[in-house]
Amino acid sequence: MSLESPESGQETFTHNVEFELNGSPERHCVPTSATVLDLLRNSCGKQGVRASCERSVCGACTVLVDDLPVAACSTFAFDIEGARVETVEGLAAQDGTLSAQQQAFSECGGFQCGFCTSGMLMLTTGLLRQNPQPNREEIRDWISSNTCRCTGYEMILESVERAAELAGAKQQDQASE
Amino acid sequence: MALTRHHPKAVIAAGCSDLVAQFREGLEPEVLISLQRIKELREISNEAGILRIGSLVSHTEGSRSPEILSSVPALAAAWGSIATVRIRYRGTLGGNLLARRYRYEMPVILSALGAQMQFEGGDIAVLPVSSLWDRDSLWDRTLGNVGILTAVTVDTASLLWFGYERSMRPLSTVSLAVRKNTAGLTVSAVCGSEYRQPFVLSHTAEATDIAELDPAFVGEVLAAQLPDEAGDYAGSIDYRRHLVGVLCRRLLAEATGTQRKG
Ligand SMILES: Cc1cc2nc3c(=O)[nH]c(=O)nc-3n(C[C@H](O)[C@H](O)[C@H](O)COP(=O)(O)OP(=O)(O)OC[C@H]3O[C@@H](n4cnc5c(N)ncnc54)[C@H](O)[C@@H]3O)c2cc1C
Ligand code: FES
Ligand code: FES
Repeated sequence: MSLESPESGQETFTHNVEFELNGSPERHCVPTSATVLDLLRNSCGKQGVRASCERSVCGACTVLVDDLPVAACSTFAFDIEGARVETVEGLAAQDGTLSAQQQAFSECGGFQCGFCTSGMLMLTTGLLRQNPQPNREEIRDWISSNTCRCTGYEMILESVERAAELAGAKQQDQASE
Repeated sequence: MALTRHHPKAVIAAGCSDLVAQFREGLEPEVLISLQRIKELREISNEAGILRIGSLVSHTEGSRSPEILSSVPALAAAWGSIATVRIRYRGTLGGNLLARRYRYEMPVILSALGAQMQFEGGDIAVLPVSSLWDRDSLWDRTLGNVGILTAVTVDTASLLWFGYERSMRPLSTVSLAVRKNTAGLTVSAVCGSEYRQPFVLSHTAEATDIAELDPAFVGEVLAAQLPDEAGDYAGSIDYRRHLVGVLCRRLLAEATGTQRKG
């Protein structure tokens, strides 16, 4: 269910929202009741932001807003005015090179059907920005806010640990260059 | 604040994590006032034994605040244990209290601490957190305009101990505080659950030191005060009293340094 479409005959109040999406400026006019999920999927074409529970429970719609993980389904679009928003589409480099997180999930089998993966990748990105070397407990705390119904969490936990290793190695390479 | 006087029926928006759910449940406000940009509502201070927490402080900020960690560390720990990472960044103290959902935990945590809510722009200035479920109060939204919750204050000067037990959530949670006063030591416990409002329980003992309290006895006295309506779909009143007794005893054993039994 989307909050965006009013009942027929109802007046819709609209709102202009300007924000940065994966590094590029965006400007959209949306109903005041539109969520970030509505905006990203319907107006910006970012289908990597999944819609499932729409109750901020499952984590499928996780995006980063100013580096923090947010449930796009339960955040009003007007609230991201002036913010920096990141979705899974912004993770890989322009030439298609996978980010450390994507590489790690692929190496460790951190996904099966892939439905939860975009949310898991965004949570991993947010976590590693705050703490480049998280321990198992911290990883579990973050990942537990995203439901996976088919992989089994062990491989996801290993993927996040591997992502931390890969990101650390990448940073060291960059520093020594 | 002028806006709330002008639009007494306006809906106040903080982190909006609960409001989106309220929209899905049929809420259709004509006016929505967002507090997001009012920096003052994010402030936390502790002056002269009064801890003041701005209503827009998020769960993450509250659990990491140096002022709270130094004055009531168990409050920071309790606050950091609720919800999930995403909600903890987004959800605010004010939203958690004023959503007035039985299952939310800050009313349980703060009622035991005797916390007071400070309002502006409405018909009231101060109300105890424990009044959130008073039957005859203004909480019936048709009766009054509460305006904006600006902050919550906690008297830390007379506080001897505080702890929160959520290991049996959603069946029963218990927060418990021990304060010193002229009559002795007052133990305030608040029992929360998924389907019933929080219940405030209290016992005053003629004691001067917390170590003089008998955890088993006080736990039993507190649990016996739970009214029959505290029984719900998840547990009968007998079971809930038993559970609350165990949780109070456990917290008091920690408070008094007694070895935990049973
Ligand atoms: C998946 C999920 C899990 C959760 N788990 C837990 C949990 O384990 N424990 C727990 O305690 N909570 C839990 N929550 C609840 C969460 O903590 C609340 O959603 C949050 O605290 C609400 O805060 P908010 O700032 O988003 O409120 P909003 O949605 O902005 O507001 C909620 C209500 O409060 C009113 N309001 C807000 N601020 C003010 C103010 N300053 N003055 C006047 N009125 C105001 C609004 O008008 C609205 O009616 C969970 C929520 C979700 C979605
Ligand atoms: S769709 Fe947003 S958390 Fe489930
Ligand atoms: S990989 Fe299928 S839901 Fe997680």
